[in-house]
Amino acid sequence: MFAYAVRRLLTLIPMLLVMTFLIFLGLEFMPGDAVSFVAGPEAIANMDPQQLAELRQSLGLNDPFPLRYLRWLGGLLTGNFGYSLTSGVPIGDILAQRLPATLELSFFALVVSTLLGSLLGLLSSLRKGKLLDQGLTVVGMIGVSIPEFFFGLVALLVFAIQLQWLPIGGRIRPEYTSYWDHLPNLVLPVLVLGISMTAGVMRYARSSMLDTINKDYVKTARSKGLPEWRVNLVHGFRVAMAPIVVLVGFRLPILIGGTVVIEQIFQWPGIGSEFLAAVRGQNSPLVMMIALLSVTAVLLASFLVDLLTAALDPRVKFH
Amino acid sequence: MKRILVALLCIAFISTAVFAQVAKTSPVADVKVRQALAYAIDMKTIVNSLMSGKALVANSLTPNGAWKMPNMKTYTYNPQKARDLLKAANWDPNYTLDVVFYYGDQMTVDLMTAVQAYLADVGVKMTFRKLEGDLASQLWVPPTDPVNGPAAVKWDLAYAAVAALSMNEYYDRFIPGGTANSHTPTDPTLAKLIDATHVVDVAAQKKAFYALQAYEGENLFALPLYYQQVFVVQNTKLDRAGSAFGNEQFNYDWNITKWTMPADASGKKVLKTNGGPVSFFETPFLNPGLFMSTKVLFDHLVVADASLTPSKGQLASDYKVSADGKLITFTLRKGIKWHDGSDITPEDVKWTYEFTAKVPTLNSVYGSMLKALVGFQDFKDGKTDGIAGITIKGSTVSFQYTTADPNALLCFSQFPPLPKKYFADVDPMKFQQAAFWQKPVGSGPFMVKDVSMNNFATFVPFKQYWGGVAKLDEIQMYPSGESDPNFIKNASASQLDYGYTKSVDDVLAAEKLSNLKVTPVDIRYTRLFFVNKFPKP
Repeated sequence: MFAYAVRRLLTLIPMLLVMTFLIFLGLEFMPGDAVSFVAGPEAIANMDPQQLAELRQSLGLNDPFPLRYLRWLGGLLTGNFGYSLTSGVPIGDILAQRLPATLELSFFALVVSTLLGSLLGLLSSLRKGKLLDQGLTVVGMIGVSIPEFFFGLVALLVFAIQLQWLPIGGRIRPEYTSYWDHLPNLVLPVLVLGISMTAGVMRYARSSMLDTINKDYVKTARSKGLPEWRVNLVHGFRVAMAPIVVLVGFRLPILIGGTVVIEQIFQWPGIGSEFLAAVRGQNSPLVMMIALLSVTAVLLASFLVDLLTAALDPRVKFH
Repeated sequence: MKRILVALLCIAFISTAVFAQVAKTSPVADVKVRQALAYAIDMKTIVNSLMSGKALVANSLTPNGAWKMPNMKTYTYNPQKARDLLKAANWDPNYTLDVVFYYGDQMTVDLMTAVQAYLADVGVKMTFRKLEGDLASQLWVPPTDPVNGPAAVKWDLAYAAVAALSMNEYYDRFIPGGTANSHTPTDPTLAKLIDATHVVDVAAQKKAFYALQAYEGENLFALPLYYQQVFVVQNTKLDRAGSAFGNEQFNYDWNITKWTMPADASGKKVLKTNGGPVSFFETPFLNPGLFMSTKVLFDHLVVADASLTPSKGQLASDYKVSADGKLITFTLRKGIKWHDGSDITPEDVKWTYEFTAKVPTLNSVYGSMLKALVGFQDFKDGKTDGIAGITIKGSTVSFQYTTADPNALLCFSQFPPLPKKYFADVDPMKFQQAAFWQKPVGSGPFMVKDVSMNNFATFVPFKQYWGGVAKLDEIQMYPSGESDPNFIKNASASQLDYGYTKSVDDVLAAEKLSNLKVTPVDIRYTRLFFVNKFPKP
């Protein structure tokens, strides 16, 4: 397994290199101009061409494409991720500030959706065709259909504004003194994001479990006289988890950029909202870095899914 | 037969010449066409419908108030008159006006759609498109020949806004041959009228603006559409101590040291607002008062009243302007301090205005003020170590100008001195990137207590403030840019006691909340069409 893991990891390097070039190239062709954003369209009407040229030079926008790409790549390899065009803050610092917030939100949302989705999917499959199954199917479809922003706004209106049980948004307030103080801020975004993702997991878990419980080895286990819970959970659900792991694994990278809506609604200072601001502001160094981060996460998730699938399903072998 | 052929040839030659001449003329160069466009658009209905009445119909670039001439000519909606004028101007009904804009909001698209329909009603075709990329090169590049053109830009009308600090900002962009005048050919009358507004004496300046506006009313070198207002939204519990409401995007005498809120459960009088830093505090040399954080952190040499007229000293106890307006002398107050407890010195003042002269992103009024200083260019070119026009004598700092700048005092009410010692190794080209802007040390009534970038910033009264200690115990700001998408959400949840917005949707929502009071304020913010009167190549 170790040799397999190392081999897979090594194949990621050329893929990443290609991706860095494609990201850089993509941004080169992106419409927009950082100067127009930094100074503002009204302000540039009053700036003389020399001033604009100086500003462009100071932002490093005048150099040719290959030089800028190689400089960026060189920076990446030496741990220098560059600077935000708009703030001048090192991108490493921005990621260090923003990434923990997104990872925190994503992690808890993933835990909620995985546990809830798996459990409900399992129950639904075991009660196939019964009222519970039909009810959960309807709930699942509604869950898939309701847009996150709508769900989030309703949750805010009810729990933060009307009932005032939970904060309106933000992550850390001036009065907080410990990590635990901000947990109430985490509740709504995590639940909205988590519940939005639960429906998908539930449907996957149900289908997978239904498929598994008809397999010969499950029937064999049942014929051995094992208790029903053991047959379902140990022999059935364990194998049924494999596609769920794939789904959850591939959700890991999506969560880095996929929390944009939730972060906007709940004023969560994560990487998603920073990415959105960077794209709007033509802040290409930051856009490139976050895009690269997402790509890396996708590749690593794919790698992780392969390992986990093999670990969960005895039929899968490492090659 | 020969004579007939010669005559026909002559007619063909003359026709070609005439058509060539016509082709060299912009379709909107004829004043009758511009007047027709103004008559054709029912801005009153647009303002009342699209903007729910939260804007004012414009009849000049100059906003309503003391600076606008009485009885300014107004082009009230009159489609028949528009048709008549177009007919008189021989308008080609097959020509399609190319209208551009750079805003990404739905309101702009709705407005363009409405304008398109109004123009179609009088027989004018129009398309509109959003500009992307390098806006300066698409909007403001002047033609090589500022008299005859051809234009260096492709559009006929450009929808834009002028958010002016000074009155001159509205009209200086029409100066013949100006670096950003892509649209208006040299007009000696206009040039003379604009030039006359560059005087220091307020009464003379006002008179000059009135004359300019009279010409504007007839000539319509731009098409004013509407005046945007700013809406101050405040908690009904906030006591502003009777302070006047002014243009919240700039600095004025808002008396914040006297503001107060009821004490909270912990006994603290806390004001919650937006405008806190997202990832840095913006320097105050482009947008001097856009963000609450900048306004409470920095004092200025002088302070302006609510109409943005400099009225009294702030960091300067006294100031004098020479009779010709070319020399301004400030005497600094005794004992004024930076938030770190060190003295604010005349050297800090001199250094600030020299250092920022090399900063690329500056407010245009401020940049012009600096350029007018004696010795500015030599300093900029590296020939001198300082600007010769800025001199120190004891506690006084003098600014000597080559030509009188009518906005010099206004600039000193907006662009604050900074503590020199924190910028020792800072490249002016990377001014915003300085570590200082992560936790600035200012001179205003409140100082930074705590900053958690992206989360909050808190400010507490500066105990050594020359104007006395503020009554509020703390100001808490959540991070937001110029347009705060969380304005209403936070106001609804009592997380915003004070703020301002230009969003119509926010205003309508705020008006429905019982804990909020909304005050509309007229500001210098005009939305208009720039009209490209140069022929297209």
